[in-house]
Amino acid sequence: MIRSFCVICATVIALSVPAAGQWLKYKTPGIPRTVDGSPNLKAPAPKTPDGKPDLSGIWRGDPGGYAVNMAADLKPSEIQPWAEKLYKQRLEDLGKDSPSYRCMPQIGPYTSFGMFKILQTPAVIGVLSEGGVYRQVLTDGRPLPEDPNPTWMGYSVGHWDEDTLVVENAGFNDQTWLDAGHPHSEELRVTEQFRRKDFGRMDLKMTFSDPKIYSRPFSIDVELELVPDTELLEYVCNENEKDVKHFLITEEDRKQNRSSGVKVASEILVRYAGIYEMLNPEDPKGKPISIWILMEGDQLLTQMNGAGPKIPLVAQSNTTFTVLGGTAQFVTDDHGAVTHFVMQAVEGDFKIMRKGDLPK
Amino acid sequence: MVHTLSLNKTLTGLIIVAMMSPAQWLEYPTPGVPRLPDGKPNLTAPAPKTADGKPDLSGIWTTKVGYTGNIARDLKPGELSFTPWASELYKHRQETLSKDDPQGACVLSGVPREHVVPYPFKILNTSGMIVILYEALHSYRQIFMDGRKLPKDPNPTWMGYSVGHWDGDTLVVESSGFVDNNWLDNGGHPGTEAMKLTERFRRRDYGHIDLQFTINDPKAYTKPWTVNLEFTATPDTELIEYVCDENEKDLKHLVGK
Repeated sequence: MIRSFCVICATVIALSVPAAGQWLKYKTPGIPRTVDGSPNLKAPAPKTPDGKPDLSGIWRGDPGGYAVNMAADLKPSEIQPWAEKLYKQRLEDLGKDSPSYRCMPQIGPYTSFGMFKILQTPAVIGVLSEGGVYRQVLTDGRPLPEDPNPTWMGYSVGHWDEDTLVVENAGFNDQTWLDAGHPHSEELRVTEQFRRKDFGRMDLKMTFSDPKIYSRPFSIDVELELVPDTELLEYVCNENEKDVKHFLITEEDRKQNRSSGVKVASEILVRYAGIYEMLNPEDPKGKPISIWILMEGDQLLTQMNGAGPKIPLVAQSNTTFTVLGGTAQFVTDDHGAVTHFVMQAVEGDFKIMRKGDLPK
Repeated sequence: MVHTLSLNKTLTGLIIVAMMSPAQWLEYPTPGVPRLPDGKPNLTAPAPKTADGKPDLSGIWTTKVGYTGNIARDLKPGELSFTPWASELYKHRQETLSKDDPQGACVLSGVPREHVVPYPFKILNTSGMIVILYEALHSYRQIFMDGRKLPKDPNPTWMGYSVGHWDGDTLVVESSGFVDNNWLDNGGHPGTEAMKLTERFRRRDYGHIDLQFTINDPKAYTKPWTVNLEFTATPDTELIEYVCDENEKDLKHLVGK
């Protein structure tokens, strides 16, 4: 969860600074528009001259809670015990050793998380990530290399299965993390299926296969949204880098992240359960981000949009809980009814309003 | 010393290439390349065209060697004239062996320096834009061909903002919006936020692009100056992943003298 927050917050800060002087409001030429001039995102998907869907454009994808746990749909018995142990350790360490915190690239398919631009040409589909790196999906008919030199981003080949672009990926090193800490081996294969439903929306299914660590393949589904009338910003990860030396975790921190020892009465906890909403900082006029607070036994858990992984909240007091390094503080009104919680992260405070009860 | 650093990286690159060539895509024949009877790419075949009749610059290219340390090496005395401030800065960078070079800290090489680093790059031609994927530091640059104007007061960036148009068979690219501490080469020729860059790309045949670019930066130079370079097509290979920070152990040794 904190991961998604950090990504969102960093983008907000970046957007707010240069907006006036940028191309960020330049109208993308050639896109269908409604009578009032706004992009018609329900128009049909465009085609290239050879009749294939044209996926070109700026897109945004968000894996939601899966950013923390891509393997959430697997049973613990389907994951090698050492890998599950390593995952828990990395969570307790708040990801301090994450290669991406040291400006290393993530696997190529993860360029679809965040803002990215697809450039479709006949022999190669280029993907430009706002993270500053690019990725190539070669569509000239070549097979994947048999024994490739392992790379961070891997090797990608694509072909069309009717209107779906199928991208096969291999040749990864074993250094990157799939999420907040799940490891993978050099055997990792990722298959992506992109299907542009209309002008503004594209379905992406991402399937992971790594039999050395996970006993069966697992998938996530992400709906990508077209982001018209804007541009990618330049992002230089290591410019003026001053963070890494602060990534320190003590044994005390670990303990705190695991369990604080604070016990909160169930009748208090149950009042916090419910559906909460915050504005999407990247798209304040768009769909708000829905955060569910669940109660299972005596444990509060958080879940993005009521689906996918559930992340435990660790009680620090009757009102304050930590979750993956961030702090959530629940606020009540004069009558004792919970109105919202404040999520404190490095970037600042986010107010997340209570919208109602959980479905029965 | 950054010159040495680049050399080291070039050597590392060579060693990697040598080690992995059989297993890689580095020897995969690029489809659609005109070939001689012996199967070798015919680099003097005519330049290809896009569907709209313009020259197609797509492909993998490598720049002419020898300009990495000094982008202005072909200029005659007097053609490049520093302002006093820039003259001092260049002298300082030379005397301190380029220890402050941002590229040494894995920040982007920037434009036009990308034209003189010894790594291949790939040009992609799509509707509305031309994109260059650089092997160096795994970075990219976008050139907008959709008719937009340069932004008036852009947020400064390493790659700058670029718009292009066709002048006959020549792609003319105008750029501005660069950072103030730009390095145009390893030797430290400065570039500033005042820099305007004009590049003229002409693909004279299948295997060659002539590039002429003019630097107009009144903060650093008393008059514009122009460099001529040549790119050679590099078919039947691929870009290699370049992760500058990986196992980084150099920076602490870049102390100048």
